[in-house]
Amino acid sequence: MLSLKRKYRQELLAASFLWPSLLVLAALLIYPLGDVIRLSFYDSNLRSQTWVGLGNYLTLLNDPLFWRAFLQTVIFTVFSVVLHLVIGLALALLLNQHLNATFRSLARGLLIVPWLLAPTVAGMIWVLMLAPFGVINGLLSSAGLMDSNFTISWLGDPATALGSVTAMNVWRAFPFFMVMLLAGLQSIPRELYEAAAIDGANLLHEFFFITLPQLRGVIATIVLLDSIWTFRAFDPVFVMTGGGPAHASEVLATAIYFDGFQKLKFGYASAQAVVMFLVLFVVSAFYVRRAMSNAQ
Amino acid sequence: MPAALTVNLGLKNRERLINALSYALLMVAIIIVFLPLAWMLTVSVRPNLEVMKMPPDWIPQVFTLEGYAKIFSNPRYLVVFLNTTIVSLTVTAISLFLGAMAAYALARFKFAGQRTVLMFLITTQMFPLVLLCIPYFRIFITLGLYDTRTSLVIVYLTFTLPFCILMLRSYFMNIPRDIEEAAMVDGCTRLGAVFRTLVPMSYPAFIGAGLYTFLLAWNEFLFAVVLIEAWENRVLTMAIYSLMAEFVTDWNAMMAFSVLASLPLVVAFVFLQRYMVQGMTAGALTS
Repeated sequence: MLSLKRKYRQELLAASFLWPSLLVLAALLIYPLGDVIRLSFYDSNLRSQTWVGLGNYLTLLNDPLFWRAFLQTVIFTVFSVVLHLVIGLALALLLNQHLNATFRSLARGLLIVPWLLAPTVAGMIWVLMLAPFGVINGLLSSAGLMDSNFTISWLGDPATALGSVTAMNVWRAFPFFMVMLLAGLQSIPRELYEAAAIDGANLLHEFFFITLPQLRGVIATIVLLDSIWTFRAFDPVFVMTGGGPAHASEVLATAIYFDGFQKLKFGYASAQAVVMFLVLFVVSAFYVRRAMSNAQ
Repeated sequence: MPAALTVNLGLKNRERLINALSYALLMVAIIIVFLPLAWMLTVSVRPNLEVMKMPPDWIPQVFTLEGYAKIFSNPRYLVVFLNTTIVSLTVTAISLFLGAMAAYALARFKFAGQRTVLMFLITTQMFPLVLLCIPYFRIFITLGLYDTRTSLVIVYLTFTLPFCILMLRSYFMNIPRDIEEAAMVDGCTRLGAVFRTLVPMSYPAFIGAGLYTFLLAWNEFLFAVVLIEAWENRVLTMAIYSLMAEFVTDWNAMMAFSVLASLPLVVAFVFLQRYMVQGMTAGALTS
């Protein structure tokens, strides 16, 4: 009886610490989510709302622009994540060699700097560099890789716009992978490598049979997390190209923004947002499962 | 014996070679990664005439601080810095305060629904923020909070608060509860014990979570674009974007602005790198 009462008191105390945060988050996340789902069944601008049932979803299915944005979001995400992983892993491996301790922490610190910048700031630097008379064209032509009379408008050309935004995103966000993978590398027991060396393993053997398997957990976690973050990213595309030229770099986040806040088609924007949410939800499920087993 | 010796020598040489290569490659990587940053800096101190010169010069022929002067002499830009600082600091303080309370409950008590709460907190980090913009816009207009800095503080909690809770929770869980209990036996109330033992002992987690929260708030853009209209309420990221649209050719002022906007984070990072990296890794691994 006493222990039951004690347990109840404990729960009460825990609840009183927890409820302010939960209330805030419920108001900020659960209620709006419900609101968006409801809105997705209406034809809605700011003033009026008309029930259209699944109308917005049917429009969406037949909207080539939506599917184009969807596909480009996937391309943007896949290229960003793969390059983050490759570059992050390469640099983490280099930082994990027997380096001078001061040099190591200095190098790590310097390489993290791009990640500190706001995507808007980073985007603007790249807009300047990628301009027709910008430094990138300049460097390419002085290296003899490009005719200096024929400059590329990287962000103005549909063929290169999305790739340029991806390049900026790779540059800004690889440090996250580098830091996480370096932490992962440092937790691999040295004995594994010593044993392998005695067995005559070469570097490739070590990498594929020790390093990669040991990093599998970290890699899975950060790849999932980065996929989710990149899939929903808005700032890089919005700042650098505004989704253009002619939707060549449109991603879901910018498409939804333009439909909602420029064309004021809130119902249709909501339907697209719900589809985006469902896709993210499936990917998140894998992440949540991993994170939960870490958390317990 | 001689065979073993050659193997050993081979290993030593191999290691030396790899090391030399690592230094060289890291230097190259640092140079490449710093090219955009160097370009930002060098453009910020040259006249606009020199920005789009072909071929580009890395060292400006004329050194000028006119870009910075344009920022510092214009109260319109200064108010943006002030707004960003106020919003970021407020969000950080609220997130740490509420976050520490919730983290304590999750780390120290067992109660029904704990798993669900944890799962909810982890899931919140996956929400597409553009989805939330639509209801936020409508709700804040209804509440009369549209175009206020308060609205930004509130909505930034959607991503900063779950992060703070999860990070502080994992840190609290590594601190033995005996320490608090000892303080309670010595006559402290539970709250007193927490403030005398747990909070001071977890200062690295508070600094790490605080810095990361500050960074997220400082760099946020989407919510700001959707919820703020008047210039006197704008934050840095928005101001940079509007500058780009307004003054397409005023590059030295824009780069000076970018340098100044990044400076607080870079300075904080230089002095608190250890905590910041901890915050960065904790966000993904321990949550």
